[in-house]
This record gives sequence, structure tokens and C-alpha cells, in this order.
Amino acid sequence: MGLAILLGAFGGCLLLGVPVAFAMGIAAASAFFYEGFPLLITFQRTISGISVFSLLAIPFFVFAGEIMLHGGIAARLVRFASALVGHVRGGLASVNIFSSMLFGGISGSAVADISALGSLLIPVMKEKGYSGDYAVNVTVTSSIAGIVIPPSHNMIIFAVAAGGGISISKLFLAGVVPGMLMCICLAIAAYAVAIKRNYPAEPFPGWRAALVAAGAAIPGLITAVIIVGGVLSGVFTVTESGAFGAIYALALTVFAYRSLSWTSFVTAVTSAVRTTSMVMILIGFASAFAYLLALYQVPTLLTNLLVTISDNPIIILLMINVMLLMLGMIMDMAALILICTPIFLPIAREIGMDPIQFGIMLLVNLGLGLCTPPVGTCLFVGCAVGKVKIEQALRTIWPFYLALLVALILVTYVPAISLTLPAMFD
Amino acid sequence: MAFVRATGRFQTPRVGNVSEETQSVGALTRTLNVLSKICLFASSFSLVLLVVIFGWLVFGRYVLNVTPTWVEQLSLLLVGYITFVGSATGVRENSHLGVTLFREMLGSPYCEIASALADLILAAFGVVMMVACLELMQFGWSTDLPMLNIPESFRTLPAFLCGAFSCLFAGTRGVLQIIQLFHTADASDERSL
Repeated sequence: MGLAILLGAFGGCLLLGVPVAFAMGIAAASAFFYEGFPLLITFQRTISGISVFSLLAIPFFVFAGEIMLHGGIAARLVRFASALVGHVRGGLASVNIFSSMLFGGISGSAVADISALGSLLIPVMKEKGYSGDYAVNVTVTSSIAGIVIPPSHNMIIFAVAAGGGISISKLFLAGVVPGMLMCICLAIAAYAVAIKRNYPAEPFPGWRAALVAAGAAIPGLITAVIIVGGVLSGVFTVTESGAFGAIYALALTVFAYRSLSWTSFVTAVTSAVRTTSMVMILIGFASAFAYLLALYQVPTLLTNLLVTISDNPIIILLMINVMLLMLGMIMDMAALILICTPIFLPIAREIGMDPIQFGIMLLVNLGLGLCTPPVGTCLFVGCAVGKVKIEQALRTIWPFYLALLVALILVTYVPAISLTLPAMFD
Repeated sequence: MAFVRATGRFQTPRVGNVSEETQSVGALTRTLNVLSKICLFASSFSLVLLVVIFGWLVFGRYVLNVTPTWVEQLSLLLVGYITFVGSATGVRENSHLGVTLFREMLGSPYCEIASALADLILAAFGVVMMVACLELMQFGWSTDLPMLNIPESFRTLPAFLCGAFSCLFAGTRGVLQIIQLFHTADASDERSL
């Protein structure tokens, strides 16, 4: 009965449109009340859920990403990417994907990626004869790579939702190859569509111009090197490297690039606060919610249910992926990481999947959900930035969905893609 | 009205003494907007302070070889303010992650009813949060936070504020939506007569 109250209150609140974080809080408070616990336990768990030292990295990553977004780093990265890959057929699409890989690696946010690169590249692509839907689709789907390319605050959310015990530095390493794989799959899809639609290639600007572009972009890319390198080398903790990365990004955009005005700084700070509070309150209430899920043994119940359908790990992983894809269509990423990790991770462990690989699979899968309607934040932001109707973008997005699905299947069923790099640093 | 523009669905109620009612709703909206801005400013200041003190921690630990131990405790405290006080602004701005798809499928006026109901539920939860956190603050008053030597209650204070502001912001919006719904129903009754 307690479980029914927990899930019923959560589902009811979601149907009415209560924000997901508060829906979890309301559901947890209702279940605690039913079980006879004092209501303040809900808030005690919520406060202790966010008072975790490793979670401090989230505001730093988000802040660094916002500073990069408003501080002019994106334009330099685009010039660098253009010099390197702009001369292939449909060159600007490749530039877009490559830039996403670089910028996503710094900001760790798909939405920041679309806002920064989309506003730069989509108008240029349209000007050069690319259709608006193609430009938007390339921008939207390639932004997902940034979620798995380190550093990524979603990886920290996953590590926390997994109950600790998962190395964040290993997660960072595990995301590199899948992120690149996603970009390669998308580049192939973009190239195929470009040939079919006869899109042009950009002229090669020459090695000198490429070197100048690299020189301008490298200081920005160093932010990612500081964060990831600091963690991997053991010099910094994740939180310290996040703080150092944020300060470096601020110093770079203020003193070196001289591109961050006071207004941009205020916008970056308030935007970082909005994102951080949204994510952290989700984590807080999810902590109380997850406690009750564990109390009612939901993971065990679901494992037993899935095992009765099939004991074949391939089928079980397929079912998990299908469920995650469906949930990803209606709910946002951070909330789903927090809700699904305590439920599905024990199942993945039960069938012998490494938790690191599961984490990457989860992020790729839920990333795909950000591009799918009816609730697809990246798709909506991309369409708004590119001034393209959602239905127009959806009509031609299929090759890109297919490319991401191929990447997801490979990440799910080929452990080496995620686990080789972490194993090398063991 | 800023919140009316933000939701894009509701207009100022237009019955009774129109100008008086509009003025009072306008004043209420302005007050709530100011409160929301104060919350956003407090959270933003906390974030900047967090970056500064953590920068000091890294500098102290790796350059001066003296770790300022109070930074970790203060950081955890500041994250609470960023999270909870910033979330109150999120309630006002309707910017929290939510699934509005299902209620939008209902069409008018059920969508508006569901929206008002969601706001009132959120407001009620805000009251519960406020009362429970007040109790937690009372418990924590006699215990000090390590390194900071301030009462433990300061860790619970932002959650209390979040409850209070969420109740105020969501409750006001919910009540105004219901008033608007009644006015719309009255107007359509008058037209049918």
C-alpha cells in the first residue's frame, strides 16, 4: 500500500504538471506519512541529499559552462573545427558535429551547446544553402555527445544516484570513446544526407590559418584538460577541479579573450543559479524518494519481473533500453537519472554489466530522449534557435536518430567501448 | 503582469471594480516579482561566494600549503542556499522541470483547472515544508556547525525559505488562476443569457 501511495502520488502530481522535483517530494512525504514517520524526515533526507561534498562540482561545472557560453569561446572553437573538417562534403555539418564534441567537452551541457553553437552555425549553414531542418537536426543531435564527453555534471548525478562507490574519474574516462563514437555515427549520417541533397564543401583555408585557429581555441579547450586531467592525475578532487576550471574559464574570458562583459557575467551567474537549483533540488527530493524505493524493494521486484520475462542479458538490456527511451520521451534527463539509476542499476549488476558501462548507456539513452518529442528540451531549443518548426525538423531527423541508436546499441552490447579507457588507467 | 505573461494563459480578472482589482493584482505581482528577484540575487551571490572561497581553498591547499578547513563546511551551507532559495525563484518563474504534456492534452478549461490544482498542491507542500523545516530549525538551534560555529539551523533555513516562498508564489498563482476561471465561466454564462 505504501508503494502504491508513493507511485500514485508521484504519477498524479506528474499528470497535473507539478514540477518533477516537488512531485518526488510530495510522493515521499505522503509515503512517510502513511508509514507513520514524522514528515520532517522527508526534508531531513532532502537536505542531507544535497549536502554531499562531491555534488559541489555541479555548480562549478554549470558555472564554467555558462561562462564559456557567454564568454566567446564557442566562436573560436567553430573557427578551429571549420579549419579542420570544413572541406569535406556537407562541411559545415561536420564542423557543427566536431564543434559540439569540443564544446560539449568543456560545458557538459547539451542545451548550452545548442545555444552557443546553434546561434553561430545554423544561420551560416542556411546562408550557404543548407536547409533549416538539416542544420537544426545536426545541431540538436550532436549536442548529445557533450553529455558523455567529460567533464559532465550528469555523470556526477549518476554517481550520486548510484549510491556512491562509482569512481567519477573512471566515468569521465569511460565517456570519451562513446562520445566520439556518437559523433562519428552522426558525421556519417550527416555526410550521407549531404550527398543526397548535394550540399557544398568549404574550401580548405590552408595550414597556416588552421594553426592560427588552433592557437585561438586551445586556451578554451584547456578548461576541459584542467578538469579531467586534474581528476585523473589525482592532483585535484572532482570538486576542486570543477572550481579551478570555473576560475580558469572566468580568468580566460575576462583577461585573455576580453569577451565577457559585466552584463554577460550577470547573465551567466543567474543562468547557472537557475540550472544548479533545478538540478540540486531534484537530487535532494530524489534522495528521499530513492530511500523509499529501496525500503519497498522496488529494484528487487522489478528484477524479478524482468527475469520472469527473460533471463537472457541481451533481452533484459533491450527491455531496459526501450523503457528508458520511452521514459526519455516524456521526462527530462536529470530527473530520470535520479529515478532510474536505483531501479535499473541493480538489474544491470545482476546480469553482470559493469556499473560504469551502465552509466554511459543510461546517459546516451536519456540523451537521445532530449531530442525526442513530446518532451525534448534539446529539440525545442534547437528549433527555437534555428527558427524551424518542430514538425519540419522531425520529418528529416530520422537518419540522425538512427545514427544515435546505432551508437546506443554498440555502447550497450560492446563493453570495451566504455571500459577499455578506464581499464588502461587502472 | 509578469507572471501572466510568463504563463501566457491568464489575463487580469475583469469584473467588479475593474481598476481597483487590476491595481491590487498588479501591486501583488510587482511585490512577488521583487521577492523573486531578491531570491535570485541571494542565490547568485551565494554562487559567486562559493567560487571565490573554493578558489581560496585550492590556492591555500596547493600554493600556501595551508588548507582553510572552514571552506568545505561553508560550501555545503552555500549550496543549500543556492539550491533552495534558487528553487523558489524557479517556482515563481515556472522554470522547474515538469511534464505539462498531459494537462495540455485536456484542452481548455480543464488544462487551466489542472494547472491551478498543481499550483495549489505545490503551495500546500510548501506549507508542509515550511512547518517541518521550522521544527528542524528548532532542533538544530543548540547544535553548532563544525568549523563555522554557527547554529545547525542555518543549514535548514534555506529549505524553510523555499517552502515559504513556494507557498506564496505557487499559491498566489493558483488562486488567481481559479479567480480567472470563475470570471471566464461567469462571462460565458452572461453571453449565453
